[in-house]
Amino acid sequence: MTKIADNINPHVYEKNSDREVTSTERDEDVEDEFDEREIFDLIRNINDPEHPLTLEELRVVEESNITVNNKDNTVDVNFTPTIPHCSMATLIGLSIRVQLLRALPSRFKVTVRVTEGSHASEHAVNKQLADKERVAAALENNNLVQIINQCVAAQ
Amino acid sequence: MSSSWLTPSLSEDLIKNNDLFKETHSIIADIMSGRLDIVQLVENMGGVLTNKEAEHRDKGMRFFTKILKELPQDYLTEAMINFISKFYIDRLKDNHRVIPAVLEGYLAIVNMTNYNVTNSGEFFTVLFREVPCQSQLRQDRYNIYCIVQTLLNKNLEYIKSLGPDFVYGVISSMDGERDPRNLLFLFGFLSTFLKDVPLGHLVDDMFEVISCYYPIDFHPAPDDPAPVTRQDLANALCPCLCAVPEFGEQCLVLLVEKLDSSLRLAKIDSLRLLKESCNTFKAETYGPFLKTLWASIHREISHKTDEELKMVAHETLSALITKLATVSNTDQSFENFVKGILISMQTAIAESSTVAQLVQASKVLLTAANASKESCLIVIRSMIPATVAYYGFKTTSKLQIASLDFLGDLYEMAVHWEVIEQLGAEVNEIPQLCLTAVSQPSKEYQIAGFKTLIRVRNALQSELVLPFIEVLVHNVQFSQDKDLLSVSVETVHAIARKYPEDIMTLVIKGKCDLENLTQDKEALQKRLNLLSNLASIDDFTKIIIEEMLKIITKNDEDASKVVEAMNESMSNASLYSNEKLTEIESDHGLIDSILSWVTSELHTGSKEGLSHGFMLIANTMSSLSVEKQQKVLSKHTGNVLEKCKSDEAYFHILSCLYSSVHQSVYDSSFEDIMTLALTLSLQSKDDDIRTKACVLVAHFLNKAEYGQKFEVLYELLKNFQSDGNREQALSTTLIVLYGWVTKALIMRGNDMFTFWLQKIMTTLSCQEFSQHGSEAIKLVMTDYPDYLNSKHHCRSGLLYKQRMYQSFKSLTGNIGPENDDTKQYYLLSWAYVLEKVPKTVLNNDVGKIAPLIVESLEYDNKDLLQVMLDILCHFIQEKHDVIALSLQTILPRLLNLSKYVKSMDVRIKSLQCLYEIANAYRTMILLPHKQDILLDLAPSLDDKKRLVRNMAVKARTRWFLVGAPGEAKEN
Repeated sequence: MTKIADNINPHVYEKNSDREVTSTERDEDVEDEFDEREIFDLIRNINDPEHPLTLEELRVVEESNITVNNKDNTVDVNFTPTIPHCSMATLIGLSIRVQLLRALPSRFKVTVRVTEGSHASEHAVNKQLADKERVAAALENNNLVQIINQCVAAQ
Repeated sequence: MSSSWLTPSLSEDLIKNNDLFKETHSIIADIMSGRLDIVQLVENMGGVLTNKEAEHRDKGMRFFTKILKELPQDYLTEAMINFISKFYIDRLKDNHRVIPAVLEGYLAIVNMTNYNVTNSGEFFTVLFREVPCQSQLRQDRYNIYCIVQTLLNKNLEYIKSLGPDFVYGVISSMDGERDPRNLLFLFGFLSTFLKDVPLGHLVDDMFEVISCYYPIDFHPAPDDPAPVTRQDLANALCPCLCAVPEFGEQCLVLLVEKLDSSLRLAKIDSLRLLKESCNTFKAETYGPFLKTLWASIHREISHKTDEELKMVAHETLSALITKLATVSNTDQSFENFVKGILISMQTAIAESSTVAQLVQASKVLLTAANASKESCLIVIRSMIPATVAYYGFKTTSKLQIASLDFLGDLYEMAVHWEVIEQLGAEVNEIPQLCLTAVSQPSKEYQIAGFKTLIRVRNALQSELVLPFIEVLVHNVQFSQDKDLLSVSVETVHAIARKYPEDIMTLVIKGKCDLENLTQDKEALQKRLNLLSNLASIDDFTKIIIEEMLKIITKNDEDASKVVEAMNESMSNASLYSNEKLTEIESDHGLIDSILSWVTSELHTGSKEGLSHGFMLIANTMSSLSVEKQQKVLSKHTGNVLEKCKSDEAYFHILSCLYSSVHQSVYDSSFEDIMTLALTLSLQSKDDDIRTKACVLVAHFLNKAEYGQKFEVLYELLKNFQSDGNREQALSTTLIVLYGWVTKALIMRGNDMFTFWLQKIMTTLSCQEFSQHGSEAIKLVMTDYPDYLNSKHHCRSGLLYKQRMYQSFKSLTGNIGPENDDTKQYYLLSWAYVLEKVPKTVLNNDVGKIAPLIVESLEYDNKDLLQVMLDILCHFIQEKHDVIALSLQTILPRLLNLSKYVKSMDVRIKSLQCLYEIANAYRTMILLPHKQDILLDLAPSLDDKKRLVRNMAVKARTRWFLVGAPGEAKEN
């Protein structure tokens, strides 16, 4: 099965350098809170299902589109598909969700949404991603899990 | 019983039984001793050789062939061989059963010394007519090829004279060969055959037969013990396809087709072939194909992920350009080709939005420029202005910085091909652009600009010196950033080498105002650093050093700053060579000045300032020659030693004078100093002095030449040790001394170290001192930058750490039962030893070390845990089975340590071990633990330290994949 990618020649952006380790991070006594950059680091290296490129390089996820609230224990991630009719949007959203599910402590409530106005069927995608049961059902599907694992595993 | 081969009954015997085959060596012996004539042997075999049954004839031929093979190669005369050859050629027409033996026999014949090559003409004629090569078995085909090759090596001229019929025969005999081993042989043989034998009108046929294998697609049988790999075949085939220039056109047609293949291997093979072909084909051959070739190379060279493919494409492009450049004077195609590359790469650069894309395109251009002088000229002539313009209109800083770097590369390429003169106008633009870059306030721009300027310093015009110096001196004085500071100093240094006069007036006398150096206190330290750095350039040495020493002798309040600056620059070996330091010492009396300053400040000065002074003296001492060292020592020792006896602070001076002497330097005062040092090492109240005393003892023991000198010093040590019942009165300082002595001895490879090591080991089982014992072990294993290394002319045997490890390992066998406290330090000593031994050495002792690690994981000792986890991690990466067997014990302990409160490093390391375990071992043994681990890892995701969380995420997401669909692991 060879399917031609939706967006054959996407625009590639610069990769950000790795987060620098500061002296406070090395300090045993200081508590580091979760911040936007840390969440971004968790998902920036997820692979695009279509290209050998990461979500960061395609600017599907950006640090500015993430909000963390340590007090209320919420994490909101907005992602931007490369083109408005991208058929992979749900899959990308699911990958982000799965990765955060595995990598964040359970106290956080995670919301993953398409950035407003960036996708043709924005509401449908958002609804799917917000529906716990649908997500759980999707993760029962071996083929889907395989694709998601491959996307997530490429660190 | 008389041997049957002496009588005509031989034929009968041969037909009836096979035993005779085992007795050929007796026949050979008989022939050699003259008891049997070979003619007679043939006569005796007559019955079997001419038998009506093909089966029996085959037997006869095999028997005779065996004898021929076992005869010495020079035994038969030419006439005999001629006769036998005729016979064998005749046999080629026989039944197919007989053929294998005939071929084997003929191979034996052609290998004989007296074989006349003229027989081969007839042989080949009959062979190619009567025997269809490809219908034979593998071994027989191989024999045919061997015969051809042997004859070719024997007499090339004659074989050539056989003409096209022979070539045709060879072509048709190998047409359709399928066996990988035979093919490997054939390809190896063909590449020389093609070069030696003219093909005539058969070029096309030959190429067709060879090219049908291209590209090789082959998988060795899985049960083959010594398989021929695809790569072997591909490597062998490649030179055949481009063996002669006549193949040129066809080969290129083939290449153009295969380069467009969708198979990755076909592409790589084709690129390799293209590269290889540049060695034989004429440059004109490529002319008509250049456009398509570039299109294909361009596609592969800009491949996103496949590094190997990219590399090959680069190599190919380079080879192709080098080839074309040879006709650059007569043919327009070369220039057109390079210009084509230029245009497409310029487009790529202009469109690039990330550094990676820019670098990729610029690399292609560098490859093109690197290939030949002509291409270098074309590329650089147009790329320097283009890049300068590019810098102008691109706004992202990363790209601008990358383009500066690219300019530096281009300049170096121009230097490499010596075309700088022809590019004068273009090259001069680079420093100008560097100036634009460094005029920006941003640190990144400045560093990049200076770095490029250092590379292109020879192109710097004198009128640009002033503006650069303005920026540089400002940086040197006011910059807080370490990187920028050091780059700036380096740049001043680089400019000073080209324009010493300018720097002299502008910097040394101007900005830094050497004469009134201490008037302006602001940023004094930084100016001093710059000056002491510049002093390493011959033109400035005298004036700067003199001025600095003046300040020191005056004992100005800033003297300590000067000493610090000098020490920092002069200990940098790339700035100050030994000769330079020697020269400064003899011209300006460096040591004397510093020494008198240090002496006067000894009790009043700051500790740090003094230690810079000591280091400066020690460093200068170590650069001096033996005679000069002796001179300095004889001048100062008496005085200092005397004072030292009453005031231990003088020991600092003694130690810096003596710690860096050459191995051959020795005088009568050494014994006094040794005794003094030993006493101080135990009795001094000052930690610093105790350490320095121990170090000096160690240096002496390490350097003294064997024989009397060493004996005397060692005797002193032994007496000192047995004096005053030190055996009983163990103390912490004594254990430290033991450590240094052990280290000094083991580093020079002296076996007596075991005696001292033993003493340390006994302390390990003693509750009170076990901790100090383990620290002494650490001391032995650690490398110190300031002690016991080659800079101080110390001996450092290769592999001394391995030796220590072996001795330690055997000595631990004797340690008695420990209680829990000493056990901890016992394990800690192990940890110190294991930490410094090369990991590969440990691989042989996994069985012994792994239990120690597992045990250590239970102790609450940060250092111990860190080292042991590190080694555990290494063992896991090496996939040692021992670890896999005790996963049930290890995993809970690791999970426990992932919550270790006292140290985040321990937490991180234990999580890393968990991650590596999931990577290294088979799914089957991991799966039972998966759910527990995922559950137990969850708390670490909420660790208070971000670095721990990162590793926890890595470990947990990895464990999620264990046994899940999509996991990239074989088992």
